[in-house]
Amino acid sequence: MSASDRDDAPPDFSLFRRKILVGGGLVLGGLAAGTGIPDFANQFMQLSSLLIPHQLDRDVGSRLATALSTKDPGFTAQVSTLLGIAQKKNARIVEEFFPDIPDGPLKDTALLIVSAWYLGVVVDAPGAEVFAYELALMYQPTIDVMTIPTYAISGPNGWTAEAPPLDSMPTF
Amino acid sequence: MANENSADVVVVGTGIVGCLIAQQTLDAGLSVLMLEAGPRVDRWRIVENFRNLPPTLRLHFDAPYPPKAWAPHMESYTDAAAAEYLQLEGPNARAYRQGYVRYAGGTTWHWAGICWRLTPQDMRLKSLYGVARDWDFDYDTLEPYYTRAEYAIGVCGPSDSSLQWPPMRSKPYPMGPLPFGPGEQRFTEAAARLGLKNLPSAQARNSRIAYDGRPPCCGNNNCIPVCPIAAKYDAATALPKIEAKGGRILANAVAYRVETDQKNAIAAVHYFDPNKRTHRITGKIFVLACNGIETPKLLLLSKDERNPNGVANSSDQVGRNMMDQPKLVAELTVTEPLWTGVGPVQGSSIMQTSQGEFRSRHGGALFRFNNMARSAFGGVAAVRKGLVGKALDEEIRRLSACTAEIAIEHELLPDPNNRLTLSNQKDWLGINKPNIYYDVGDYVRRSAKEYSVPLVRKLAAELGATNVQVSTEFTNSDHIMGGTIMGANSAASVVDLDCRTHDHPNLFLPGGGAMITAGCGNSTLTMAALALKAADAIAGQAKRG
Repeated sequence: MSASDRDDAPPDFSLFRRKILVGGGLVLGGLAAGTGIPDFANQFMQLSSLLIPHQLDRDVGSRLATALSTKDPGFTAQVSTLLGIAQKKNARIVEEFFPDIPDGPLKDTALLIVSAWYLGVVVDAPGAEVFAYELALMYQPTIDVMTIPTYAISGPNGWTAEAPPLDSMPTF
Repeated sequence: MANENSADVVVVGTGIVGCLIAQQTLDAGLSVLMLEAGPRVDRWRIVENFRNLPPTLRLHFDAPYPPKAWAPHMESYTDAAAAEYLQLEGPNARAYRQGYVRYAGGTTWHWAGICWRLTPQDMRLKSLYGVARDWDFDYDTLEPYYTRAEYAIGVCGPSDSSLQWPPMRSKPYPMGPLPFGPGEQRFTEAAARLGLKNLPSAQARNSRIAYDGRPPCCGNNNCIPVCPIAAKYDAATALPKIEAKGGRILANAVAYRVETDQKNAIAAVHYFDPNKRTHRITGKIFVLACNGIETPKLLLLSKDERNPNGVANSSDQVGRNMMDQPKLVAELTVTEPLWTGVGPVQGSSIMQTSQGEFRSRHGGALFRFNNMARSAFGGVAAVRKGLVGKALDEEIRRLSACTAEIAIEHELLPDPNNRLTLSNQKDWLGINKPNIYYDVGDYVRRSAKEYSVPLVRKLAAELGATNVQVSTEFTNSDHIMGGTIMGANSAASVVDLDCRTHDHPNLFLPGGGAMITAGCGNSTLTMAALALKAADAIAGQAKRG
């Protein structure tokens, strides 16, 4: 097999493209240092942690922050507003401030952030960029039973028909 | 040794059938050259392709296998994309949206690994029930080849004959059965309460031990669309073994014409490379193993003055009798968790429902609890509800654990009107796309209405379902059969009982196209058995000169 035969998946999916995107994000961050944009990743993580009561990966968060603010110029302002709503309630968990978010663009943005962390994508459509696979949170509420497909949580014939009850939610 | 232009045996297609024939004929001392239309891609790349798909796209088994321009296959991500390559018409056009992979290794890349045999009755529908055709040999003739196929690809299954399907076997399975996860166990118990036996599948997955240089299954639950560790047999694992035996494999080589000589034997196969340059390959014996759609397409493309209806087509049966198992799916919601996703994606089926006197009136059906992890389904559905926090996590867990799918695969009869022809539309290389007319027929429609759908509702009720939705439109099972049908009578069939064409003594068309009846199970093991039977004939014929 020639080298070109061995690696002929489309460029859309290639690791090389992911490196470019991460690199692009870093360049953008560097250029924008004077305008306070690096702080935005922190703001985004702060809001994400209030919206989602779980451990969140900083690298995934940084890439999501860049992607979401690039896609929607109003996104950074909405994050600030949402943080303000949470702070006004001294909220520590989402249930303490989510009802205070008005329906419409602000609530849509809050749900988009939750969706992105759970599904690992901003848009669930053909050609969309994937920000997280095994770190996508949607796999975690069942991680005590279900494998994340392609990964394994047991060994050769190491699984059984036993299963925990519905109410024993894993910690993640 | 084969060179780049000639070999004793020229095999077009590198799927399970082509690879088994290559291995057998290399072992018999023949030189082998294989042509593959698509690319040759490493396993890790396909796994990464899969992980880098958006969640809903991961349900499209073809999506990690983007086709090359010169080797298109159906892409299912939208209806418009699906309509690009396969041209489908007829009352059940949607049910012939066949997923296959034009990559080296073929469609076993994304098969579930299920290895049911036909039963003796499945091969005698005309004699027993007055429908379809009988096979011109019996189960006992095929049995040794089934056993050889099971040992060649590594099939696991139960040693208890009451759990085998069918229980007529000359040797045990090379490996014992895989364990059930909780969902399949609950389904088995529910079926038993209705007097039905949910059998552990015979499956080409290594159980407990390594086999043929591949590791044991570790329950990665990703058999479809790719086993990340090659515990499941796929023909891609055979490619280096073929090369180690001296076989040559040319990837990105799109066969577009089979050339006959003055005696109407096959003289050569012509292929395009990705630069649209043409090449001519000569050999003693030619094998077309391009799957049940691409093989009849290539025969029809190759018409010449001696064969005005296409190569191997004096019977006018090439491209007719296209079969599959038309599928319906029941979606269930239950109160007590069932849990899927533990173990392989498929591991059992109810098979006894494929048999019965009713086959004079309607087809049989197979019932299967789908064991693909439903966590992504639960995740996407719960997020779309706009939930957050604890409520979101609880809804993901509930939807993942308390929903399930039962697939019903129906027996279809061979019908000459279900026909593949050449479309006027051309692909990137200028080759006609395949056009297929498809009607599942009243035999299948009656099966669904009178038999399978009422029974799946009983199964759902026994599982405690509070909501059941049964699909109403038949879909594809990707088990392509019939297009180069086998028989002793050369006026009514394309290939003889060794899958040799009646018209050309040195052309073999083994695989699903030769199958005369379909049964309810995956066709792959029967295709593999027919490949081994053909390989014996090829080796014998080559040695006689």
